[in-house]
Amino acid sequence: MLSATDITLSFGGFKALRGVTIEAKPGTVTGLIGPNGSGKSTLLNVIGGVYVPDSGQLTLGGQPLPLGRPDRVAQAGIGRTFQVPRLAHRLTVFQNMLAGERDHCGERVADLFLRPGKVKAQERQASERATAMLKRLGLGHKANDYAGSLSGGQQKLLTMGMLLMSDPAALLLDEPAAGVNPVLIEQQVALLNTLRDEGRIIILIEHNMEMIADVCDRVFVLDGGQVIAEGTPAEIRGNETVIRSYLGQPANS
Amino acid sequence: MLDFAIYSITIIAVWSVLALSLNIQFGMTGLVNFGQILPFALGSYAAGISASLGYPWWIGALAGLIAAPLIALLVIMPAQRLAQDYWALITLGAAEIFRLTVLNAPALTGGADGLVVPRFIDPTLAMSVALAVLAVTFLLAQRISSSPYGRMLRVLREDEILASTLGRSPIRYQASVSVIAWMMAAAAGVTYAHITGYVAPSSFTVTETFIIWTAVILGGPGRNIGVIFGAAIIQLLGVSSRFVAQWIDLPPDLIANLRLASFGLVLVLMFLYRPQGLIPEAKQVHDAERN
Ligand SMILES: Nc1ncnc2c1ncn2[C@@H]1O[C@H](COP(=O)(O)OP(=O)(O)OP(=O)(O)O)[C@@H](O)[C@H]1O
Ligand SMILES: [Mg+2]
Repeated sequence: MLSATDITLSFGGFKALRGVTIEAKPGTVTGLIGPNGSGKSTLLNVIGGVYVPDSGQLTLGGQPLPLGRPDRVAQAGIGRTFQVPRLAHRLTVFQNMLAGERDHCGERVADLFLRPGKVKAQERQASERATAMLKRLGLGHKANDYAGSLSGGQQKLLTMGMLLMSDPAALLLDEPAAGVNPVLIEQQVALLNTLRDEGRIIILIEHNMEMIADVCDRVFVLDGGQVIAEGTPAEIRGNETVIRSYLGQPANS
Repeated sequence: MLDFAIYSITIIAVWSVLALSLNIQFGMTGLVNFGQILPFALGSYAAGISASLGYPWWIGALAGLIAAPLIALLVIMPAQRLAQDYWALITLGAAEIFRLTVLNAPALTGGADGLVVPRFIDPTLAMSVALAVLAVTFLLAQRISSSPYGRMLRVLREDEILASTLGRSPIRYQASVSVIAWMMAAAAGVTYAHITGYVAPSSFTVTETFIIWTAVILGGPGRNIGVIFGAAIIQLLGVSSRFVAQWIDLPPDLIANLRLASFGLVLVLMFLYRPQGLIPEAKQVHDAERN
């Protein structure tokens, strides 16, 4: 189980998170919804170690996670995507995928020069997985294009692919469907279902309520940096407070 | 004329090693090192001091190759907690501190007068050694460039947060690439000391770092063969300007300043019109057939 307990965070005087507690179980998809600026991405950035919270704890499987250390969080098996995709723009799509490979011996200087055979073998294995993954994401024909030349939707898919290369135990996804074409969204839903059935922990931020209803087992609703409701998608749809603060208004992103 | 060619090739080889060492830091990793002359100076002074103490050449070479990576780690330690912009200041400062220390410790370093180092008598031997050092450096740089390690250095250059989100600790990569780069520059420094037969603080100023940068920006940041090309052009411009000076009888100071100004102009023009350099970084194409 991945849990964030009593997280608070201020930017200057502005309180972006006010004592947020959420948890996500393995083999489930946990939705995170709420109006623009309610603190969803900020919470994900705290879990991912990009922001250091003013207070609060993070645990994975009962073990405390370090705060403000994205590298260590990733090594603990928590992978993530960003709302605005982060990619190595001047590397090819394929090179970006390979960068997702975990514990690559070819990234250790000693192995690089002393054990070229081992490096080559791992590189080949990673390449095979990357090729298969790109095909699955419909990006096979883009393998040798610069990542920076992809459309926004394709960039989202690529970051998802890089994430899957590392075989993470938990996935933090910030609006993976925004800007992605509808056919590929269906594919993403199928992918999420597979990942859930594999027993992974998935936290999903999404404005697309249909997708939330389709894939989420549990949903947390944020507003003004606080959790205002929590429950199954059906319960959330019927919740008066949620309707007033969020569902009643048209989501604009 | 032949002498001149041999001399030019020797000098170009030495500066190519420096350009390669800056290339793996800046071109590949995005580290802005404004003190790249420091490891070069460390190598030169290791050779000089050990010679003045009566040790054989290889003791000096070894000392240089050990001192440079240690100082590299010392210099970048404080940079760990700071934003990228501070790397420039810290490395610039470290190089100047070293130069001023050398100036003020004449007992060991000869101060402003410098030290005498045993010199290659045969210019062809000097050239061969310089070319051998360049060959080794180039092969190392190429191996890094085409490896998974080099790929992650480039990811770091593009987006440090992305690299850490992928589970990599940026400082570990920055430290290891600095160690390798500083050893390359130290090797160039040792070689240079034995070529000129003399080391003095005036050879290791900010101007020299600026010349390495011009070579890298001109040739193509991220491209090993490119920065060698850049170093060759810059050094040939340098030596030929001396001929021009003799010809038209201008004072040497003025020529030196004009030369620097022209390098500055090269930098500005490159930034404006061809930031990828004359020989840009190559796309690493994956050949699916080969797998
Ligand atoms: N680095 C930052 N510095 C200052 N303020 C920030 C920073 N990051 C986020 N904020 C503010 O914190 C609040 C929450 O932002 P956040 O990005 O978490 O919202 P969100 O719920 O993800 O919204 P959206 O649905 O638009 O993505 C916003 O008011 C935002 O302006
Ligand atoms: Mg957001």
